[in-house]
Amino acid sequence: MKHFNSGVRAVLPIISGIIPFGAVMGSAFAEARLSFWQAMLMNSTVYAGAAQLATTELMSMNAAIFVVVATGLIINLRFLLYSAAMSPYLQDATPLVKFLCTFTLTDQSYATMMGNQDKFETNHEATQFYLGTAACMILTWHASVVAGFIFGNFAPASLSLDYAIPLSFVALLVPTLKTTNHKIVAVFSSLVSLMFYGLPLKTGLMVTSLLSIGLAWVLIRIKNKR
Amino acid sequence: MIDSNYFYLNVAILSVGTLFIRGFFIALSSKMKVSPQFKDLFTYIPAAIFPALVIPATFFYKGSVVWLYGKERFIVLLVCGIICYFYRSTLFVISLGLILLYLVGVI
Repeated sequence: MKHFNSGVRAVLPIISGIIPFGAVMGSAFAEARLSFWQAMLMNSTVYAGAAQLATTELMSMNAAIFVVVATGLIINLRFLLYSAAMSPYLQDATPLVKFLCTFTLTDQSYATMMGNQDKFETNHEATQFYLGTAACMILTWHASVVAGFIFGNFAPASLSLDYAIPLSFVALLVPTLKTTNHKIVAVFSSLVSLMFYGLPLKTGLMVTSLLSIGLAWVLIRIKNKR
Repeated sequence: MIDSNYFYLNVAILSVGTLFIRGFFIALSSKMKVSPQFKDLFTYIPAAIFPALVIPATFFYKGSVVWLYGKERFIVLLVCGIICYFYRSTLFVISLGLILLYLVGVI
């Protein structure tokens, strides 16, 4: 339980950014005239804020099923990379733990895990920590979506609480930039993401990520040859 | 009003598809042996994805506007990134960023 609790504590600062995002999601469900149970069904089974927001808007415009599904899945493709990065920690885990870690894989849980990866001595400790972050995330997300559905977007705009999300990513990214090569990849990703921002279906994120991973691969090869 | 059948079909495909994406490598984790080179590559995933998530979202927050106008979020983010390099506390960085953005808005 010690590492589970550490995970909960580690993700708590990020919660301030999740609540307004959840409120926006909940009010978007209400504006799309989904019933409460329909909203909760989508929120529970898809459990991916950015994809839900985009696809709910598309569904309210009666977009073709292919467009809705393709948009949602392309936005979620980054989880494939998170899944790859999580896999070494879950090699010896039970199927139930693997399923729980799969289902609860989010940007924030993954980022918190990676930002603290030096603190674990075993895969079991890492998994416990991850499940702590995931439990805290899922509870906060559902509570804030329900509140947003019932009360509308309650977060005061003047406080810009939604800005806590990018700030939390910065705070979690910086500790992972351990070598010059990591810093080069981060700068490359920043610049390329600006160039590809206008690509359709938000594919810029995935294109940037793959190019940056490609650069990382080249840098690793160069480092190993030395 | 979203048609129920249309909604349920979309949600079903999205749920299964997202679960498949999330679980693909995790499901294979006990069957595949990850080489040290790939393990090293995995450490670059945050550096590859997180800037691409936050930089355009803050830089283009008010659309493609002229020069520094509308770039408050981006500038505060850069300042917080530099501060975070020296003082690694998530809570401190988030609090500082929100306060700085609020002050910039007031000014």
